[in-house]
Amino acid sequence: MTEIMMNSLNILAVGILLASLMAMTTPRMGQLIRIFTLQSLMLAGMAALVGYQTGSEHLYIIASIIVLLKVFIIPRFLNYSIERIKVKRELEPLLGIPGSLLLSAAIVVLAYFVTEPVISLTEVITRNCLAISLAVTLIGLLLMITRRKAMTEVIGLLMMENGLFLAVISTSHGMPLIVEMGIFFDVLVAVIIMGMFAFRINETFETSDTSILKRLRY
Amino acid sequence: MMVSLLLCTPLLFALFCALAPSNRWIGRLSLLGLGLVLIQVLDLSYGVIQNGPLDAGMWYIDDISVIFLLLMAVISFLVGIYALSYIGHELHEGVLTPRDSRFYHVFIQLFLFTMLLVLVVDSLGLMWIAIESTTLASAFLVGFYKKEESLEAAWKYIMICSVGIALALMGVTLMYASSLDVFGDSSRALDWSVLKGVAATLDPTLLKLSFIFIIAGYGTKAGLAPMHTWLPDAHSQAPSPVSAMMSALLLNCAMYGIIRFHVITEAAVPGFSSSLLLGFGLVSVAVAALFISITTDLKRMLAYSSIEHMGIVAIALGIGGTWGTVGAVIHIAAHSLTKSMLFLSAGDIVQKYGTRDIASITGVLKSIPWSGRFFTAGCLGIVGLPPFPIFLGEAIIVYAALQSGDFLVAALFLVLLLMVFVAFTYRFVPMLGGDSGLEPSPSPLSRLLPMGILLIMGLALGLVLPGPVLEFLQDVAAQIGGVL
Repeated sequence: MTEIMMNSLNILAVGILLASLMAMTTPRMGQLIRIFTLQSLMLAGMAALVGYQTGSEHLYIIASIIVLLKVFIIPRFLNYSIERIKVKRELEPLLGIPGSLLLSAAIVVLAYFVTEPVISLTEVITRNCLAISLAVTLIGLLLMITRRKAMTEVIGLLMMENGLFLAVISTSHGMPLIVEMGIFFDVLVAVIIMGMFAFRINETFETSDTSILKRLRY
Repeated sequence: MMVSLLLCTPLLFALFCALAPSNRWIGRLSLLGLGLVLIQVLDLSYGVIQNGPLDAGMWYIDDISVIFLLLMAVISFLVGIYALSYIGHELHEGVLTPRDSRFYHVFIQLFLFTMLLVLVVDSLGLMWIAIESTTLASAFLVGFYKKEESLEAAWKYIMICSVGIALALMGVTLMYASSLDVFGDSSRALDWSVLKGVAATLDPTLLKLSFIFIIAGYGTKAGLAPMHTWLPDAHSQAPSPVSAMMSALLLNCAMYGIIRFHVITEAAVPGFSSSLLLGFGLVSVAVAALFISITTDLKRMLAYSSIEHMGIVAIALGIGGTWGTVGAVIHIAAHSLTKSMLFLSAGDIVQKYGTRDIASITGVLKSIPWSGRFFTAGCLGIVGLPPFPIFLGEAIIVYAALQSGDFLVAALFLVLLLMVFVAFTYRFVPMLGGDSGLEPSPSPLSRLLPMGILLIMGLALGLVLPGPVLEFLQDVAAQIGGVL
């Protein structure tokens, strides 16, 4: 692998991680969607580069689906849903920004620690990527837990999935194409259904703050 | 080809139900679809039992999938009969509109399609997609009643399960990475039929990490504590026939996914996945025992009991060996049969009393005599009294634990079972006797028939356990854990 290729893969991987950290610090909904779009774009770039480097042509298809789905369709749908349910622009996190960042840093360290024994075995391309993908996945989960709005939970889930795709692309150069297509289809349908439910929650409770969903206990 | 036809049936009938001219036709078509699925599954299963695994392209059906497929086809058909009368009653009362009824039948077919897909695919990646689709197809059925509580339940269901499933994808990826090391670049590297042959040569570190993600992910969907929080909400808010299907069939699908990964991991790293299953199982039974004793809602109580039984299955798989695995398989079947009957009779109770509050339900045996009797039988069965099949499953599991020398596990298991027994009995006995002041009403035959058949099948399993069935179960056990 050439030096340039190596560097650009690493830069993209780090960029994806940084996007996740930025998502933890942003106080605004619109910005959060833009960060997600940027992250997806970098993920698509990653897929294309790995495809070029390993000669697996189906990764180009994956890259273009990521661009189509996660850079164009889903962000538009999210923006549209936000317009429609008139979410307040502020996110009102349950956990403050410094606390969120501190926890995210802990997650990154943990991810490197857990993947250490695996990393030493596998080939060069996956060195950083597996740890980073694990970190991105767990930070996405943290985002879901610490934010209260229905739509932020959806974005947290999407960011988790970006982390997972990074793992898929870097460790195994993509799964069999039919599996990948199925995963994309599921993601799209899931986001649409979640959007519909978010809309119904907003209609029924007159807010999209999911922390009021506390009727069901025991 | 046969499998594709089987999968197309519910999809086609979903379309038919969506287009059917009148309400009566929707119900008939829906039931016809379920019946056709049942016939095809019987035919397929017979073929597999006679001739060994069916491996055709994307599809792979072996003895393990046959057990789950049979349970699925039989129970969904019986629940389908019941649902006609249940939904009809709600329509009559004006709780539902004809549009809701159409919606219900369309989504039941789609839900069945996704669950069947889980059981017949060969690739573990496609199985992941199918399990995620079961969540998507059933989310609308959980939020069916459009009330505030059902909306909350549906939201929690889809979010928590999607997160869980996302974690499981990480597990699938790691499994794929480990098998690529063996196969090189191969489109079949995720196929179970190929993987099980090379399981022992896969990379142990990757597999361990993979199984942790799998049990966290599919465990969420199977209702293992502490990832179970969506389950009581979803099961209590869904219409009772859907609760029966989720509890008796959907949880099995997730457990099936865990079993597939467990077999491979156990072959490569003996003892790792079984101890994880044992741990999660014991925690689940303990958590369920606690919540059964404090919940005030009838259907939530049954839902917690499902968590308990999934925990017991996990414990049995964790104990392993031939008898542990036979116990697990019998327990899965016993739980599906008993719990679906229990949810159906509970559906009658809830419709009659108009409440799910345990304290305000009394005199069940008097006000709905026949459903009340089935409810009583179900409760006695679910707490594990003989001659009901759950007793058999639990007895075999205890035997397996003693035989493999896990005395601590056996003791802990018995103590937890006793706790559940006391808690559950304390809750259900007061509901049976006394007088509710409600006019006694006979239940229609279309409701009693499915419950009766479920009871008879359960008793046949618990009392008779025909010789060929036991042999078949031992074969399956050899395939799942016989190497141990």
